[in-house]
Amino acid sequence: MTRVLTLWKHGIKAGLLGGLITVLLSLMGMVEAFSQRQIVSGVLSMDGALLGAAVVFMGYLAAKRTTRAHPLWVLINSVTCGFITGGLLLLLIWVGQNVNLRAVFINASPTLYQLLSFGEGLETAPVLFVAGSLCGLFGGALYLLPGYLRKALTVSLVSVVGAGVLQDLIRPTLAAWEMLAEFAEWVFSSNGLTEQGAAALFILVAAVTLLWSLKGKAVQSGFKSLPATGQRAIQWTAIAILLLILFVLPQIVGLFLSEVLTIVGLYVLLGLGLNIVVGYAGLLDLGYVAFFAIGAYVTAILTSPELGFFSLSFWQALPFAILIGIVFGVMLGIPVLKMRGDYLAIATLGFGEIIRIMVLSDFLKPWLGGAQGIGKIPKASIAGFEFGMPQEIYYLILAGCFLVIFISLRLRDSRLGRAWKAMREDEDVAQAMGINLVATKLLAFGTGAAFSALSGAIFATKLTSVYPHSMNVMISINILCVIIVGGMGSIPGVIVGAAALVGLPELLREFAEYRLLVYGLALVVMMLVRPEGLWPEAVRRREFHEEEPSENNGATSTASASS
Amino acid sequence: MAILTAKKTTKRFGGLVAVDELDVEIKEKAIHSIIGPNGAGKTTFFNCVTGFYRPEEGEIRLNSHSLAGLMPDQIVRLGIARTYQNIRLFPNLTAIENVLVGLHCRLKANYFGIIANLPSTRKEEKEAAEEGNRLLKFVNLAGKGDLLAKNLPYGEQRRLEIARALASKPKLLLLDEPTAGMNPSETQTMMDFIRHLRDEVGITILLIEHQMRVVMGISETVTVLDYGRKIAEGTPEEIKKNPLVIEAYLGKGSAAETQGVAA
Repeated sequence: MTRVLTLWKHGIKAGLLGGLITVLLSLMGMVEAFSQRQIVSGVLSMDGALLGAAVVFMGYLAAKRTTRAHPLWVLINSVTCGFITGGLLLLLIWVGQNVNLRAVFINASPTLYQLLSFGEGLETAPVLFVAGSLCGLFGGALYLLPGYLRKALTVSLVSVVGAGVLQDLIRPTLAAWEMLAEFAEWVFSSNGLTEQGAAALFILVAAVTLLWSLKGKAVQSGFKSLPATGQRAIQWTAIAILLLILFVLPQIVGLFLSEVLTIVGLYVLLGLGLNIVVGYAGLLDLGYVAFFAIGAYVTAILTSPELGFFSLSFWQALPFAILIGIVFGVMLGIPVLKMRGDYLAIATLGFGEIIRIMVLSDFLKPWLGGAQGIGKIPKASIAGFEFGMPQEIYYLILAGCFLVIFISLRLRDSRLGRAWKAMREDEDVAQAMGINLVATKLLAFGTGAAFSALSGAIFATKLTSVYPHSMNVMISINILCVIIVGGMGSIPGVIVGAAALVGLPELLREFAEYRLLVYGLALVVMMLVRPEGLWPEAVRRREFHEEEPSENNGATSTASASS
Repeated sequence: MAILTAKKTTKRFGGLVAVDELDVEIKEKAIHSIIGPNGAGKTTFFNCVTGFYRPEEGEIRLNSHSLAGLMPDQIVRLGIARTYQNIRLFPNLTAIENVLVGLHCRLKANYFGIIANLPSTRKEEKEAAEEGNRLLKFVNLAGKGDLLAKNLPYGEQRRLEIARALASKPKLLLLDEPTAGMNPSETQTMMDFIRHLRDEVGITILLIEHQMRVVMGISETVTVLDYGRKIAEGTPEEIKKNPLVIEAYLGKGSAAETQGVAA
């Protein structure tokens, strides 16, 4: 009996936890908010996908806790987990219909209960049990399947859900091309994927993933066995295609998406700068937005006729913006040279706030515009071509990103990049290896500040105005999240991180109130599941996922005094 | 001709005198050991030499160059490199990167040269990579350059640390317990290696060591510290017989009865 309980407890525990999660999701109003968006028209809406995914995940976890030695127990536990989750949701409906929960949880509306009970009320109770158990069972089955099948199933399901969630992004893009319009019609209905579209997408992605799992190794080794010139040629072709896509992107995707792309691009610039300071040099800077503000304000002061000091063009002001950014970066660096870790974070946090409060102050209002900010900043233009619309500013930002990526790459693989990384690992030893800490730290702060100021300058000309409230500490935190989620010290990671943490929320505006919640959740999940980030540096990837040889550092301290 | 001279060096931590008016002279191309009970001030002396601590009194000179007031990175450039008692590699850098960091002070590329990727920078990087691989081969780590330092086994980490120190082209190498935690055959290999460094490469070696077999086996001169003071100095044979040394290790009065045990 106890043996049964020890084995069964995993399923029960996971089920209670799953129930708690799903009930919370419901009470917070996420279920109701998500129900508007259909993923597969008439079959699956986003709330169903959310709850289902939660239960499948818990079922998978329950299965994982049970050892692989008992396949039957694995399934029993995952079904138990789903069953209990379904039961707890049912309990929520029952309680909600007898007690007024709305006094505390304003989202506990009759609509919620309708949604949870598939529109039927208490009579459909058994359905919840069955649905929960099926989801749990699916999670357990996922665990038992061989790796390549599990991967294919998850990837294709995620793709279908992703396509459904991002329908407003994909459908107009497809529809803009005449020859694809009919195809778009076939795949998407007015809300969500069509059934045949979802099925086709599922099969396509599953087939590709399966094929890659089976043949990917052969393709990779085939690529490796090519002569160096051949490899180079393929790489350059891939880069050329990528460049071409990036170049025509704003023309294809339209105004709104171009706007989103410009915001992502500005964050990529900021992220790459902070990546040098935090990712390479290991100096935790929480006041990074200060340099963004400096770049934006210097551009505004030098170009805006509103203040009437100067009226330079954007291009004349840009070098000053970057230069003053660097000067401030170094000036902040000097007092914090001796600080490490937490102390450095607090000091830089203070610096960021000082800059924000200064631009907000009434005292400096004649020069910095105070709370009203500075307006009438001219657009940038080259030879009569004005970067006015988001589609045009996109190219300005793209050029900035290329420049910054290029500099980051060069620095990373250099003497200086190695010095930064050595300093991140062990400051004392780095110094004992001949690294001048003062110069190396200041170069990191200066470079980071330069990238950030560039981003700020483009931001100012993009909005044609700057306000103190767009320089708050949340920007610093967001940038830090971008590089943590993307992968510390990884350049593609910053881009992926910015797209995921900045681009996605812009696309899912209707769920904006859950933005911070999802941010927090994403960070916690990332740290648990993929601490190295979405696209880690090649070396770091190895560090986290290779079977490490046994450590025997413990032997160091025991040195015998005589033999 | 002495390569390193310490005169009346004193380092205090509050009321504790860790190194007390120490006079040491290390001859060019010597293998010189510093021994002493735990807490005798050996590592503190190393930290004074490498610029990590500032001694309150006295003077340390490399050849005729005073080290007073210099930062650790400047001292490395003058030609003193070190390893640590408990290995301190850059754990998340690869083996070759660790060695290249050691080469840092011998490279000249500056910020703009790096971004412009000038021919001189390219040439220097290429030579640095070759030198790094040569050093890895020298310490018998050929082919392990791409492994993370922390994933190397213990003995290899010790050797990598030496390779990193050698990368800065030192005239004087300070080894802090290079054979700690090694078995007898590894210890023998390390001893041969140290001798090889001196004989073939011509580097002066100053080492702290607890294994008497190593101390007596390879050093020409031994300095014994106790409570921060030098209590004896001489050839291994002289040190073995010195009653003060035996007392320091085994306690007062034990000199007579334990004569020769330390061997």
